[in-house]
Amino acid sequence: MLRRILLPVIFLILAYGFWISPDFKVIAAGVAIFLFGMLALEEGFKAFTGGLLERLLRKTTDKLWKSLVFGVVSTTLMQSSSLVSVITISFLSAGLLGLAAGIGIIFGANLGTTTGAWLVAGFGLKVNIAAYAMPMLVFGVILVFQKSKALNGIGYILAGMGFLFLGIAYMKDGFDAFKETLDLSQFALPGLLGLLVYTLVGIAATVIMQSSHATLVITITALAAGQVTYENALALAIGSNVGTTITAILGALSANIEGKRLAGAHLIFNVITGTIAIVLIKPFAASVDVISAAIGIAADDYTLKLAVFHTLFNLTGIVVMLPLIGRLVALLEGSLKAKAKHISEPRYLTESAEAFPDTAVEAVRNETLHIYENSRDIIASGLYLHPADLTSEAALNERIAASVHGSPTDIQAAYETRVKPLYNAVIEFISRTATGWEQQQMADLHWLRNANRHLVEAIKGTKHLQKNLSIYVRGDNAHIRDEYNRLRLQIASVLLLLEQLRNGEDADVAILALDGIRARLERGDEAYTDRLYAMIREHRITPQMGTSLMNDTGYAHDIQRDLMGMAETLFAGPERELAPAQRKLQLDEDEMADALGERAASNDPGPPPGKADGA
Amino acid sequence: MKTRKLLDKLVAYLDGDARKRKKEKDEIKAVLKKLKRREKKLKNLLDETKDADKRTALQKEIDIVHAQRKKGVRLLKA
Repeated sequence: MLRRILLPVIFLILAYGFWISPDFKVIAAGVAIFLFGMLALEEGFKAFTGGLLERLLRKTTDKLWKSLVFGVVSTTLMQSSSLVSVITISFLSAGLLGLAAGIGIIFGANLGTTTGAWLVAGFGLKVNIAAYAMPMLVFGVILVFQKSKALNGIGYILAGMGFLFLGIAYMKDGFDAFKETLDLSQFALPGLLGLLVYTLVGIAATVIMQSSHATLVITITALAAGQVTYENALALAIGSNVGTTITAILGALSANIEGKRLAGAHLIFNVITGTIAIVLIKPFAASVDVISAAIGIAADDYTLKLAVFHTLFNLTGIVVMLPLIGRLVALLEGSLKAKAKHISEPRYLTESAEAFPDTAVEAVRNETLHIYENSRDIIASGLYLHPADLTSEAALNERIAASVHGSPTDIQAAYETRVKPLYNAVIEFISRTATGWEQQQMADLHWLRNANRHLVEAIKGTKHLQKNLSIYVRGDNAHIRDEYNRLRLQIASVLLLLEQLRNGEDADVAILALDGIRARLERGDEAYTDRLYAMIREHRITPQMGTSLMNDTGYAHDIQRDLMGMAETLFAGPERELAPAQRKLQLDEDEMADALGERAASNDPGPPPGKADGA
Repeated sequence: MKTRKLLDKLVAYLDGDARKRKKEKDEIKAVLKKLKRREKKLKNLLDETKDADKRTALQKEIDIVHAQRKKGVRLLKA
C-alpha cells in the first residue's frame, strides 16, 4: 500500500515545489542530472567487468588489508560505493569471495566514498565545474556510439562524469539563487535534536535517491550556499552513511545467504559508525578543527571541514570494527543461517550471480560441481558402492571383494530427482544470461555445458550397465561375477582418481594429468578378449553372458570416457586461464603411442571393448 | 636503432595477432613449468615405489608427462 502511494506523493510534492519555486526546480534537476551521471558511470564501469575487475578482485582479496585497499581504491576510482558493494555481493554469491574478504571490501568502500566529499568540496565548488562538464559530455556521447566495447565504456564514464559535474553545477547555482527567496537555514536545529532530526533526513534522502554520494553533494552545495548550518550538515553526512546500506540490502534480496550476510555486515558497520559519530560528535568536531588547522584548511571553510569529518568518522569506524571482523563473521553466520537446500535445488544460480559474466560462469561451474557430486553418488550406488568407498584404493578393493546385497538403486528415479532439475536450471540460467559476452566466457560456458552433458550420459550408461550387473554380481557364477566386479572396479577407480585429482596438487594441470588416465582407458584391459573367448569355449560362462559382458564393457568404457570429458572442464584447476594451453599440449593417439613406445612394438592393437548385438 | 626497436615494439603491441601469440606462448611456458614439477614429483615417487605393477604405471605416466613437455617445447619453437 505504502509503496503504491509513495511514488505519486513524491511526484506531487516535486510538482508543487517546481510550481512555487523555479530555483527548487534547478536544484532538483541538478540532483536528477547527478544521479543520471552516476547511472552512466556505473554502466561505463560495467563494460570493464568482463575480466579486468574480476581478475583484480580475485588477486587482491586474499588478505584482509588487500580487500580493504581494494575497497578504498575501487570506490575512489568509480565514485560509487553502491557499484562496489553490488559487485562484491555478486562475487560472494557466486562463491568467488569469502565473507571476511567481502566485509573488508565493504569497509574499504566506506572510506573510499569519502573521497567524493573531498572532490566536490575541494574542486567542485572552487572552480567553474560546468566548464569541464561540457567537453566531457560531448566526447563521452560520441564515444558511447562507438562499436568497440572499451570505447563504449570510456564514453559512458566520460559522459557520466560530465553529468556529475553538470549536476553539481546546477545544484550550486540553484542553492545560491534559492537563498534569495527562501532561507532554509531558518529550519536549522541546534543541539541533540538537530543532530537526530538531520541524521534522519540524511537517511531518508539517501534511501530515496539510493546514493549517499548525491546526499553528500547536496549537503555540501547547500552548506556552501549557507542553506544548512555546519552542525546540521555533519548530521546529514552521518545519515547519508547509514542510508547507503539500503542499496546493499536491496542488492542482497536476490543474493544467496552469503550476499545477505554481507549486506548485514554493511548495515552493522554503518549503523555502529553512525552511532559512534552521533555519540562523540563534539570530540569529532573538535578533532576536525585541529586536523583542518594542521593541513591548512581555513577555519570558515566548512565544506572542506565536512569532508574531513566524513573521512574521520569512517576511518574511526574501520579502526573500531576491523579487529572485530572475525566476531562479525561468526555473528552473521550464526544469525543468518543458510536454509538447508534440498539436494535437487540449485545452490549457486542466483539472480545476483547473473549480474556479471565472470560471476555467472563461476556460478555455472559451481552448480556443475554440485551436479557432479550428485551424479558421482548415483553412479556409485548403481555399482553397489557407497561414496565413502571412493576415498582410497584399499577401501574400494575391500568393498568390491565383498558380496553384494540389497536391491538395485532406481537410477532413473535418482536422476529425475537429483540431477535433472539442476541440469534444467543450468541450461535455463545459461540461456538467460549468456548474451553479448566476451568470447572467453562463451567458450567457458560451452565447455561447462559439455561437462553437464557428459555427466548425464555417464548416468545413462550406468543405468544400462546396471541391468545385467545387478543380476551377475549377485549370481552364482563366479566367473561372470568376477568380470562384472572388474567393470565395477574400473569405473570406480576412475571416480577415485578424479576425486584425487580434484583435491590434489595436480589440479593446476588437471587436463594434462587426465592424459595418463585416458591412456590406460584407451588401452583397456588387454587380456580381456582372450579371457572372454576362453570362458565361453570352456563353458564357464554361456554365450549369452558373453555378449552381455561385451555390451556392458562398452557401456563401462563410455561411462569412463564421459567422466574424463567432464573432468577436463570441471577440474581444470585454480589456474583455469591455462586450460587452452593445456589442451594444446594434450597428446593425440599417435603421440601417446610414441610416448609409450608402442608404435613399433605393437602390430595388433586389439579390438576396443565394444557393444555386440543381442543380450 | 633505439627508435627502430621502440617502433617495432609499438607495432607489435598494436598488432592484435602478435599480442595474442605472445599470450599463448606465455601460457604454454607456465604450463611447462608446472609439468616439469609434476615429472620430478612422479620420478621421486617412482624411486620410492617397490611394487612392480605400480612402478610400471608410474613409468608410463612419467613418459606421458615427458612427451607433453616435448610437445610444448616444439610448439614454443614453431
